Amino acid sequence: MMEKLEKNKGSFLGAFKAIRFLWKRPKTLRYPFEPKEPALRYRGFHLNDWDKCTGCGNCADICPNEAIEMVEIPELASKPKEGIKNERPRLDYGRCCFCGLCVDICPPGSLSLSRDYFHIHFDTDTFTFIPKDEKLDNEHFFPAEEYSVLKASLSHRKKDYEGFSSDLEYSLFEPERVPMPEVRPEARKLSFIEQVIGYSKEEAKKEASRCLECRLCEEACPAHLKISDYIRAIYEDKPEESLKKIFEDNPIPAICGRVCMKYCEDACSLSIRGEAVAVRWLKRYVADIIGDYKTALELKPGKPTGKKVAVIGAGPGGLSVAYFLRLKGHEVTVFDSLPGGGGTMRIGPPVYRLPIEAIDQDVDYIASLGVEFRFNTTVGEDLLFEDIRRDYDAVYLGIGTTRSNSTRVKNAEKCLLALNFLEDNKLGRAVEVGEKTVVIGGGNVAMDVARVALRLQNIQHPGKEIMTQTVSLEDWDIMPAKEDEIEEAKEEGIRFNPAWGPKEVVLGEEGEVKGLQCVKVKSVFDEQGRFSPTFYEDKEMFLEGNMIIEAIGQRTDFSFIPEELFAKLEFTERRKVKVDENGQTTIEKVFAGGDIVNTNLDAVTAIADAKIAAEGIDRHLSS
Amino acid sequence: MISALKNELESIFKDIQIFVPENSRLIISARGAMILTILNFLKDKGYDHLALISCTDWIEENEFELIYIISSYKADITPVGNKMPDEPVDQRAGVDNRLNIILKTRIPREDPRFITAIPVFENAEAYEREIHELFGIDFEGHPRLIPLFLEREYEIPPFRKDFDTRKYVKDFFDEIPFVENKEK
Amino acid sequence: MRELELYFGPQHLGMVGNFSITLKVEGDRILEATANPGYLHRGFEKLMELRTWIQNFPLVCRINVVEPDPMEMVYAMAVEKLANIEVPERAHYIRSVYLELSRVSSHLFGLWAYSNMLGFDTVAQWAMYHRDLILDLFEELTGGRVYHIYIWPGGVRRDFPEGFKDRIVNTLHSIGGCVPDYDSTFFNNRLFYDRAKDIGKITREDAKKLGAMGQVLRATGVKYDVRKVESYAAYDSIDWDVHTREDGDAYSRIWVIRNEMIESVHMIFKLLDAMPQGKAYSKVLNPFKWKIPKGEAYVRIESSRGELGLYMVSNGGDKPYRVNFRTPSYTHGLTILERLLKDASIADVGNIMISLYVVAPEIDR
Repeated sequence: MMEKLEKNKGSFLGAFKAIRFLWKRPKTLRYPFEPKEPALRYRGFHLNDWDKCTGCGNCADICPNEAIEMVEIPELASKPKEGIKNERPRLDYGRCCFCGLCVDICPPGSLSLSRDYFHIHFDTDTFTFIPKDEKLDNEHFFPAEEYSVLKASLSHRKKDYEGFSSDLEYSLFEPERVPMPEVRPEARKLSFIEQVIGYSKEEAKKEASRCLECRLCEEACPAHLKISDYIRAIYEDKPEESLKKIFEDNPIPAICGRVCMKYCEDACSLSIRGEAVAVRWLKRYVADIIGDYKTALELKPGKPTGKKVAVIGAGPGGLSVAYFLRLKGHEVTVFDSLPGGGGTMRIGPPVYRLPIEAIDQDVDYIASLGVEFRFNTTVGEDLLFEDIRRDYDAVYLGIGTTRSNSTRVKNAEKCLLALNFLEDNKLGRAVEVGEKTVVIGGGNVAMDVARVALRLQNIQHPGKEIMTQTVSLEDWDIMPAKEDEIEEAKEEGIRFNPAWGPKEVVLGEEGEVKGLQCVKVKSVFDEQGRFSPTFYEDKEMFLEGNMIIEAIGQRTDFSFIPEELFAKLEFTERRKVKVDENGQTTIEKVFAGGDIVNTNLDAVTAIADAKIAAEGIDRHLSS
Repeated sequence: MISALKNELESIFKDIQIFVPENSRLIISARGAMILTILNFLKDKGYDHLALISCTDWIEENEFELIYIISSYKADITPVGNKMPDEPVDQRAGVDNRLNIILKTRIPREDPRFITAIPVFENAEAYEREIHELFGIDFEGHPRLIPLFLEREYEIPPFRKDFDTRKYVKDFFDEIPFVENKEK
Repeated sequence: MRELELYFGPQHLGMVGNFSITLKVEGDRILEATANPGYLHRGFEKLMELRTWIQNFPLVCRINVVEPDPMEMVYAMAVEKLANIEVPERAHYIRSVYLELSRVSSHLFGLWAYSNMLGFDTVAQWAMYHRDLILDLFEELTGGRVYHIYIWPGGVRRDFPEGFKDRIVNTLHSIGGCVPDYDSTFFNNRLFYDRAKDIGKITREDAKKLGAMGQVLRATGVKYDVRKVESYAAYDSIDWDVHTREDGDAYSRIWVIRNEMIESVHMIFKLLDAMPQGKAYSKVLNPFKWKIPKGEAYVRIESSRGELGLYMVSNGGDKPYRVNFRTPSYTHGLTILERLLKDASIADVGNIMISLYVVAPEIDR
C-alpha cells in the first residue's frame, strides 16, 4: 500500500471525502457539562492521613522545589517514644510540580495525591495549605451528589477521590532489613556460644544505607545519641568518625550494642511498614571493627582541676559518669564489689548475649583515660560510706538494683534467686541443675534465667528428656519481657504458663524440691492500676520441677548508708531516690542516677542520668 | 575493531592517552592543537558525525575540559522505487557505527582559549558559540561569537562553578517572599 | 528592490514554540536568515547540578515540552550506566512500549503543527484529537497527561494497571482505522504535493556535513536509526523496518514521518505480545545517601526528531557534576535552518522550519 501512494502526486478531490464528518457528532467534550473523570492514578492535590502521619519530615527533605514545610500543630501531642512528632506538612502550590516523590518516600504511607486539581481564588494565601483527608476534615469534602465541578477548589473537594498512592514495591526506601546472621536455635541451646554473629562490612554498609535521616530516633533515645550521624559515617566507611560520634554521648558501645533496649528502633519511621534500621547492631559493628578504641579516638582528660569524685558502682551509670567527669579534668575513683567492671551487666545478661570480653573492652578504655578502678571493694565493709563522703569532693551513687525479690510463698527459701543464679553461672562457679526446672516470673530477667537453665540442662544431662518452663502472673498481653526475647525463648523450647500464680513449693520426704503448686490468676492490677493480684482459688495446677528459681524483680541495697544519713534521703512516690535537675540527692555532696532514680531500669537511661549528674557535679565542684 | 583503531592512533600520535571503558566507547585525551589533527584523521577514516562539543569546569584543578564526541554515519543507502542509489551499501570497511569516540582536552582556567573546529566539522559553529557565551572560552577563528541564549551581560559566565545562582537571584530580583515573611 | 529586515518573531501564527528568526528580505526572497533562540532558556543544566540524582528526575522531563519521555529515558540510562544498575526484563519492554506511544503522540503533534501552518485545519484538529486519546492512555498509566515522570533509574515507576493492554490495542486500532481518511485528505492531496515538493531540499552529502539526524537524514536515503545502530531497551527483540525516501525535501520528510508513525503502531502490537512477566523496578539506594562513583558516560537514543544524547559527568558525590544534553533540534534549528532558508520565499519559512521538525525548547534547554 505504501508504494502505490508514493508513485502518484495526489488528487484534489480526495479531500472532499471529509465532508461526511459534518453530519457526525462532534468529539469535543462540552466541559463542564459533560465531565471527564481523571484516571485512577491521577496526580492532583495532596491528601494526608493524620492518624498515620508521624511528622518525620521526609517529604520536606526530598521535594525538589522546596514546596513542603513542616509546621507545628499545637493541638497534637508529641510522643517521642513511639516516634510521633506534632508537626505536619504544609504545601505551597505555587511551587509544587505534582511529581509525587513525596508520596513515594513517605514511610508510613499517609501522604497521597487525589484526583482534584482545580483551584481558582483571588487571594494567593489560599494556595498554601495543610492537607488533611476526609476523615478529619468533614467540611471541605463532599459526596458525589453535592459536589459540583463549577465550584471546585481547595475547599470544595470530592469524597473518595484518592489518586496516586504509595506502593511498597516501588517506594524509594527499602522496608526489609539486612538479616543478621545468628546461630540457629537447635545449635545455640546446647552451649553458651554468643547467639548474634555480627554484621560484616558489606552488610553493615548496606544496612546503614537504609536510614532516611529523619531523626525521630534521636528524640526517642533517652541519651539523645547522634544516631543519624554515626550511621552515615558507617555508610561512608569511616568507622573512626562513627565511634567519635557515639562517644560524645555514650562511652560503652560494646555493651549497649548488645543489650540496649533500643527505643530508637521502636521509633524508627521505617518500622511502621517494614523493619527498623538495625541501630543496635550497627553500634556493635563499630565497636567490633575498631577493637582498640585508643587508636581511633583521640580523647584526652581535661586540665586537672584538683577535685576528686567517688563513684560507687561500676555499672553503665557509674562508668559513664566517670568518663564524662574525667574528660572535664577531675580525678575519679570507681568502687565496685565485683571482680571487674560492668555492674549488673557483668552478672546479669548471660554470656550468649553479653560476653565478658565485650564489657572489658569498654571498661579498659575508660581506665586508660586515667580513671581509677577499685574492684572487689564493697562499700560498707571494706570502706565506710562516711569516710568516702568526707575524703572526696562529691559522691555518685550508681548502685543499681542488686538484690532479687522473693515471692515468700511457703517453702520459698528452698528456691534460688535470679541474680544469684545468673551471677554464679557467669562468673564460672559450678551450678547443678536438675532435669526439670521451673522459673517464676515474666520479665527479661526471667527469660535470661530460663534460657541459662535450659543450656545447663542440655550440657549436664545430654540425651535425657529435659524441661524448663516459666510461670508468670501476667498473661501474654501484659507480659513485661521484650517480644524478641520471648520469641527466642520459645524457639529454644521453653514452655510458658502465663496467668498462673505460685501458691506453694512442694517438698518431698527428704526436703528436696519436687515442684510448684500454682493457682489461676483472675487479674493482676486493680482499677487504679496498682499491683494487686486476685486468683481463682478453685483452679490449681502442679508443675513438676527439681529446681525452682524466682525472677520476679530486683531491689536496691541501701544497707551501707548509715541510719542518720538514710533518714535525710528523700524518695518519690514510686519509691525512687529523689534528685533535682543537677542529679543531686537531698544529702549534701551525694548525687545519684540509674536504676535507683528512674523507672525504665535499663542501661541507656542510666547513661542519660549520668550525663545530667556529670554536668551537675561539675557545676557543684567549680562553684 | 576498537583495539585496531587504538593501536593505530597510538602509533601515529605521540603523547595521547586512550582508554576503552566498554566496547562501544573510546576516550582519547590529548593536548592543544593536536585535537584538530586527530579530528581530521578520524573524519578521513570515516567518523564524520560531530554529535556534541561540551565543556566541564574543573574548578578545583583550575582547568576547563573541552569534550568532542563524534561517531560515524555509516549506514545502508536504500533503493526506493526504481531508482538505484550510487552506492547501496556503505563501503567504509573498518568503521564501526556503534562506536562513539570522546576526545578530551584541558585548557587553563585563567586564560581560556582554543581553536575553532569549524574547518573540520561545519556544525561546530553553534556549539562553540554556546560554550563561549556560557563558559567564557574564546575560540579563535570563529566567524561570529555573538550571544546565543542570554540577553544581558554577566560578571562571571553563568555556567561556571563559582557563579552562585541564589546570590544572583537575590541581587537582581530581590528577596522572593516565603509565606512566613509575608505574614510579617 | 529594497532590502528589509523582518522578524519572524516569537509570536507568529506559523511558529511552533518561542523561537525567532531574523530575515533579511528582498521582495519575497530571503537573502539571509539568522536564528534567534533563547526565549525558553531556563538553565536546566545548571539547575540539575544543584539537586540530587532522584530530585532531578521531575526536572528532566520539562526540557522538551512536546515530547518529554525520551528525556527521562536518556537520563535514566545515563544514571544506570554510571551506577551499574540492572534493569529487569519487563521494565525494558514497558519502556519500549511507552517510548513508542510517545513517538506516535509526538508525530501527531508535529502533523498538527505542519498542516495548521499550511492551512489544512481539518487534519490538524483530527491529529490533535487522536493525540488526546493517547494522552488519556498516559494519564491512566502514569498519572499525568503531559509530564509523565515515569521512567526512573532502576525501571519504571508503576506497573501496567489491570486491562491496560486491551485499552492500548483498542485506542491504536481506532487511530489506525482513520489512516485512509488522513491519506485522502492530506498526504495524498495534490495541494500538499505542490506546496512541499522541492522545498527545503538538502542533499545527502550536505546533510552529513551539517550534522543532520532523524527524519532529515532518512529523507535523503540514509538508513540510519539509533534504535538499530546502538540498540537499547527491547528494540532488538522484535522485527521492524527503518523507513526512508530519497529526495530530501519537505515532502519526503513528512512522508517519512507518516510511515514511521504507522510502523510505531505495529511495533507496539508486537511488543505487547512479547512482553514477559516479572518485576518492573529494581530498587535503587536511599535518595538521601545515594552517591555514584566517579566517571563519565555518553548515552544516546532515537527520539522522534533524531539522535538525543546525554553526556554526564559524576564526581563521586550525590549530585551530578555536569549534565549536557545533545538535542536533535540544535543542529537542525540553528545550522541547517539558516542554510536552507537562503533563497527561499517568505511563505515557506514555516514550511521548512516545521518540516525540519524543530522544537524551540529543545534548542534552549
